[in-house]
Amino acid sequence: MARHAALETFGRSGNPVFGNKFNNSQGFVGSERMTLDGTVNKTGFLLGLCFFGAIISWNIPNPFLMFGGALVGFGLAIYTSFVPRNAGITAPIYAFVKGLFLGGISLVLEMQYPGIAIQAIGLTFGTLASLLFFYKSGLIKPTENFRLMIFSATFGIMILYLVSFVMSFFGSGIGFIHSNGIFGIGFSLFVVCIAALNLVLDFDFIEQGAENSLPKYMEWYGAFSLMVTLIWLYLEILRLLAKLRSR
Amino acid sequence: MNSIIFGLLAVISLFIFFNLSKVKASAKQTNRDDRTNWGTPPWRKKNHTSNRNTSSGRIIEGEAEEVNKD
Repeated sequence: MARHAALETFGRSGNPVFGNKFNNSQGFVGSERMTLDGTVNKTGFLLGLCFFGAIISWNIPNPFLMFGGALVGFGLAIYTSFVPRNAGITAPIYAFVKGLFLGGISLVLEMQYPGIAIQAIGLTFGTLASLLFFYKSGLIKPTENFRLMIFSATFGIMILYLVSFVMSFFGSGIGFIHSNGIFGIGFSLFVVCIAALNLVLDFDFIEQGAENSLPKYMEWYGAFSLMVTLIWLYLEILRLLAKLRSR
Repeated sequence: MNSIIFGLLAVISLFIFFNLSKVKASAKQTNRDDRTNWGTPPWRKKNHTSNRNTSSGRIIEGEAEEVNKD
């Protein structure tokens, strides 16, 4: 996208994260800006931290580490979504504590279904690489309608999980979400597809952010959003594989 | 064997990711009119092209005529 086209598109935005930056893009002359290289390096760093956390939790199984990591990670994800400027501090902590959670949950499932963790890791990164290729080559073209569709589906899944979570306190739940029947597996497949398509939106956000020279801290934010989607995708693939193996 | 295959898949995929993501997307991807607009939330659709057309469409060409109320 040409610079003038970006200003035309983003300059009128009401979103404080993007709008102000593009309106005052002259003010960023000489200061550091978001690049693809920087975002990829930061993603690598966050992945490394996540693996480090997972290795700790895998070797020292502790429910406190696992559920503590999940709760702190959730809080940090909400905070970072609203305050991207601090992503440089919150994103590494998020990656580490989520690693603690992933290591624990992977170990629990690995003991039930040997080999499931490496399968989920392979499929997650395989999906990441193939969708990146499709995006870079232009085979998948995210549009406004695509974004709206993925956003709606993601929001719907979130509401469904929330309702199921609240119902579980009353000894009830939405059965088909966790069942290993046709509906349960179909639902998991659908969620895996939506999580994977969220990766395309992350790639597009990072690409456009680098094109339009967003401030440097947005590299952390881009890497963070990619990590959130990757962790979600990994968990859903893990759940899908567990359902398939339990049949 | 299973672990080796999926382990290799993970390593190769990560290698592809770290190399390919540093490359700029193809012109087919970047030179489009219907790219996503990250400046607005997805539920607030904003079509600048159509807005421009609408505003220019308000100009009615031709001579002005005085309206007599009588």
